[in-house]
Amino acid sequence: MTTDYSKQKALIIEDMAEARILQKKMLTDFGFVDIDVAMKAETAIELLKSRRYDVVFSDYNLGNGKDGQQLLEEVRHSELIPNTSSYLMVTAETSIEMVMGAIEYQPDGYITKPFSQALLQRRLQKLIETKIKLYDVNQALDNKDYRAAIKAADEALKTYPYLESKCTRIKGDCYLELKEYDQAIELFSEAMADRKMPWALFGLAKAYFFKDQYDEAEPRFRQLTLDNRFFVNAYDWLAKCLLKQNKKEEAHATLLEAIEKSPKAILRQMELGRLSMEMGNYDVAEGAYRKAVFLGRYSVHNHYSITINHLKTFLGMAENGQLQTKQLDSFQSSVARAQKRFMHQPEAKAQVYQTEIELYLALNDLQRATLSFTAWNKDISSNSALPPPKEFEAACAPLLGIESVGDSNE
Amino acid sequence: MNKLDIGTLLASLIHESKNTVGHLMFQTQTAKSNFPPSDTMYEQLDNIESDLKRLNDCWVEYLYLYKLASNGYDIQCDTYAVDDFLDEQVFVLKPSAKEHKIGLTFICDANLIGIFDERLLISVISTGFYNALRFAHKQIIFKAEKVDHFLVISIEDDGCGFDNTEDDGCGFDNTEDEGSVLTEYNTSLGLHFAELTAKAHSNNKQHGYIEKASSETLGGASLKIYLPQ
Repeated sequence: MTTDYSKQKALIIEDMAEARILQKKMLTDFGFVDIDVAMKAETAIELLKSRRYDVVFSDYNLGNGKDGQQLLEEVRHSELIPNTSSYLMVTAETSIEMVMGAIEYQPDGYITKPFSQALLQRRLQKLIETKIKLYDVNQALDNKDYRAAIKAADEALKTYPYLESKCTRIKGDCYLELKEYDQAIELFSEAMADRKMPWALFGLAKAYFFKDQYDEAEPRFRQLTLDNRFFVNAYDWLAKCLLKQNKKEEAHATLLEAIEKSPKAILRQMELGRLSMEMGNYDVAEGAYRKAVFLGRYSVHNHYSITINHLKTFLGMAENGQLQTKQLDSFQSSVARAQKRFMHQPEAKAQVYQTEIELYLALNDLQRATLSFTAWNKDISSNSALPPPKEFEAACAPLLGIESVGDSNE
Repeated sequence: MNKLDIGTLLASLIHESKNTVGHLMFQTQTAKSNFPPSDTMYEQLDNIESDLKRLNDCWVEYLYLYKLASNGYDIQCDTYAVDDFLDEQVFVLKPSAKEHKIGLTFICDANLIGIFDERLLISVISTGFYNALRFAHKQIIFKAEKVDHFLVISIEDDGCGFDNTEDDGCGFDNTEDEGSVLTEYNTSLGLHFAELTAKAHSNNKQHGYIEKASSETLGGASLKIYLPQ
């Protein structure tokens, strides 16, 4: 059976020009007509947001930005690629461990470099054949009809016994989605009885976690971090589990360990920032949010609140009398950058002003606070910033000895 | 680097060389596309490609060998249709077999399912294949079957067999020759790699192992890799 690729849309993500040209030629030879090419992860995300691709063909190594695995995690997490499409990762022999070790988000298939055109064609063909065999399952997953997906997985299993581990995993994940945790536990435990498969252990740990049985979940997440050093997401889950049990210090240490292994994950940096803030560890929080702001520039998780949270770490330092001159400088340049970046986001701009004023008030620097308040007023009149929330205004206007913005507008 | 670690040094050297080999393979493929398959040039480039693949497979073996021996490899098992898996190995190694005028096939029940680390097994099979290629007269086969709780994958040839020292340089007249000594070393390294791979596979306290036997089908050597299921 050969697939007719002429109607399928393909996306190649590859940073090396030579490989890009060769891969495009290979796909053209297979019969693809509609092929888009992205040189880096950020471009790929933009393309994936605007178009639906049948086949995504991504290199693991994408130069200085995000790597192929991070891109995959973001794409899967944000559902930018349907389950019915195929995601093929091109890796080197040295990076394949990292890709397949990341149990939570895996590509549908992989091919290690160097490969011949014939092998690529074969792997792609096999991948698509499996997608066809599991079409009903994947379509149900895309429709979030988990009940139907379980049924379809059972059907597929009858015809294709070798898909057992894939189908069992899908079914278990569906039970988790349906919040039928006992069913999930039964299924994953059964799978574990034959052999300790990491996905089954992971599923089991999650099921216990969602059932609030943290004493059962914790050792399993911990085991996953020990079994496979490339499954860094297991650390995130372990940290979540520890937090639920109010073991903040341990959770913090776990997140730090995960960040040391894989610092480029924005959600992890955000979580470390949030927890560090909560624990009053503003230095660590500042570093984490600073990295999150940086990573956010090209991420689907980007939101102005990350910048605001970053600024609030300085406020935390100021309120505790820990803010050094160097950090104040850093705060001021962050504010300046944020104001520029949020030129067209009145809501974000307002929050930057608010944090700035709060910080100067904490430092007892009324002069700077007033200057900031005046600038805010100016931006409000040109509609580039929202007015302050009532409570904030009521609290700080008397301190600054000025009329509140609301009054002056009336 | 405080102390020169020869292992790491070699591993990084191999890594770099592998990249170059990969680059050469891509270039050969590009060059090949300029000729029709009937052209002799095409055939020559095909042979160059096979040899480069062999070199690449060799580097891959050494990389995994290094990782396994230094406890730096996390085994990642998944479930596979063994029939499909062997079909692919035959598919990728066939050009090399053809170049040496050796037939290559596989025997496996179409419904056989196996759990193993795919990357390691691909490397073990290619290593075993290149080894068999040196001794085979006409034929090499890959076989897979389930025996008790083990998946047994064997690489068999119609050469002189392990009993007649296929693993220490049979077929070489001049044993004084440095080349044959190195070849011999290479063969035992290949066996060592297969053994480490088999051992790395475990389930329910059972570990994998290898067996040097003779091929019932072809009469030559048979390298059997036992993987607990």
